[in-house]
Amino acid sequence: MGKSENIIEIKNLTKSYGKKRGVKAISLSVEQGDIYGFLGPNGAGKSTTIRSILGLLRYQEGEIKVLQMDAPREQKEILRQVGYMPSEAMFYPSMKVKEVISFAAKVRKTDCSKEAQRLCEILKVDGDKKIEELSLGNRKKVSIVCAMQHRPKLLILDEPTSGLDPLMQEAFFELLLEYNRQGTTCFLSSHVLSEVKSYCRHAAMIKDGVIIRTDTVENLLKSDVRRVRVVAGGQKKEFVYTGEMKDLIAKLADMQVEDVLIEEPSLDEIFRHYYEK
Amino acid sequence: MTLFLQELKMNRKQFLAWTICIGICCFGCILLFGGVKETMEEMGEVYAQMGAFATALSLDRMNSGTMEGFYATEVSLIFAVGGAMFAAMLGICMLAKEEEGHTAEFLYTLPLGRTDIVAWKYAAMTALILLFNGVCICWELLGFACVGERAPLKEFWLFHGAQLLMQLEIGSLSFLASAFCRKKQVGAALGFVILLYGMDLMCRIVPDIENLKYVTPYYFSNAADIFINGNLDGKMVGISVAVTVLCGGGAAIFYNGKDF
Repeated sequence: MGKSENIIEIKNLTKSYGKKRGVKAISLSVEQGDIYGFLGPNGAGKSTTIRSILGLLRYQEGEIKVLQMDAPREQKEILRQVGYMPSEAMFYPSMKVKEVISFAAKVRKTDCSKEAQRLCEILKVDGDKKIEELSLGNRKKVSIVCAMQHRPKLLILDEPTSGLDPLMQEAFFELLLEYNRQGTTCFLSSHVLSEVKSYCRHAAMIKDGVIIRTDTVENLLKSDVRRVRVVAGGQKKEFVYTGEMKDLIAKLADMQVEDVLIEEPSLDEIFRHYYEK
Repeated sequence: MTLFLQELKMNRKQFLAWTICIGICCFGCILLFGGVKETMEEMGEVYAQMGAFATALSLDRMNSGTMEGFYATEVSLIFAVGGAMFAAMLGICMLAKEEEGHTAEFLYTLPLGRTDIVAWKYAAMTALILLFNGVCICWELLGFACVGERAPLKEFWLFHGAQLLMQLEIGSLSFLASAFCRKKQVGAALGFVILLYGMDLMCRIVPDIENLKYVTPYYFSNAADIFINGNLDGKMVGISVAVTVLCGGGAAIFYNGKDF
């Protein structure tokens, strides 16, 4: 796909909060129809980037284009075609769930009642409950309905699964894939590697406000870093190995191994790996 | 419009509480006049000799033994302080509540635009203040009907026009403050109203701080002045309108550049 079909295009985005770091000169692009993962530990700058895309933050430098439109100038039109799910879903406590969902639809001047009802059924959302009665997980579900009910061209999801139980996480990703099949581009931030690995095609890694690498998920995970847990000579050993697999096996053969577990490194270890490169 | 209706709905309890409290207080106070009329006539002479205290409260210029004087010195006070407090509370909560309640992320990512959000919220505040005045005026007119006496209508409407302007000015100042705050500063807003009222009392007594009359909107909307003069000071009304407009515009400008 050509660059003109990028749904999100960020060039040299810099945002700081006074002396505090936000993000520094980050650039990334998300193609139409992609599910794009934005990986990074807490405080890395994921939410700052997302908030800048959505116009919640006024950034100092750089350029953001969403759906071919200039992010700060054409914010209203952009938001009309975007569905956003924040990491902490908060609504007006005195309102009922169905009132919040209806309010979000009315603002968009769209009749989303059928889709909203379908989403509520899938996610088991009780429309008659008051927001103040809901747990974080249930508020997240309301947030999913608000973000998806108008069938947006772009879904921006900030740590969407935090607070959701495993069954709901599964239901959520099924919905995400369904929307994606119908043409919705998805940009989701996460610090859960497995989510990105399972559902995203491309991803960017961010740490300390800087993009470390952007690539296909397949390429990103082609790291030769492995965490090795060994029981040898009655002693437990654990180390991170970087290199050829045959060399590792040869090394293990010399160790009188009683038990061995070779696993993928944690996200943090992959980050470190990319830093050291 | 959706946001406007939403704001009206969210503020309905506060609106009802203040409208009922202030409206009934004004109504009850007018009803009291029938029973205390003679006492008030005697008290009027005592008040007139109370020096600065009487000057501050205009008791030396109005005869509280008449409905006109009683309304201008007693009833108007309840309405002036209560109405301004209601306006200040509305204004200070309008924008700051989104950040305090962490709902800003929800509201500002809907396709409304920040200027429109500020405009609809400001419109909702204005509508609630107008409704508050309308309902309270009805309570007062009902009170006049029950007692069988009323204040002169021209001055009565002039007073309420000035009060509306004052409430809009205080509401707008609080609205502007709300744009800067990340939490609802209700206590500060109510304190600000008391400060403005205190300024009015003091500048009437102390000649050196007479210029405070240009600062506090309580001065130009003072009931006794309006009932005695039968008009409003155009210069002060102009200042009040300018402050109101500047605060509304200022809130929109500041809010447009704010980080959430």
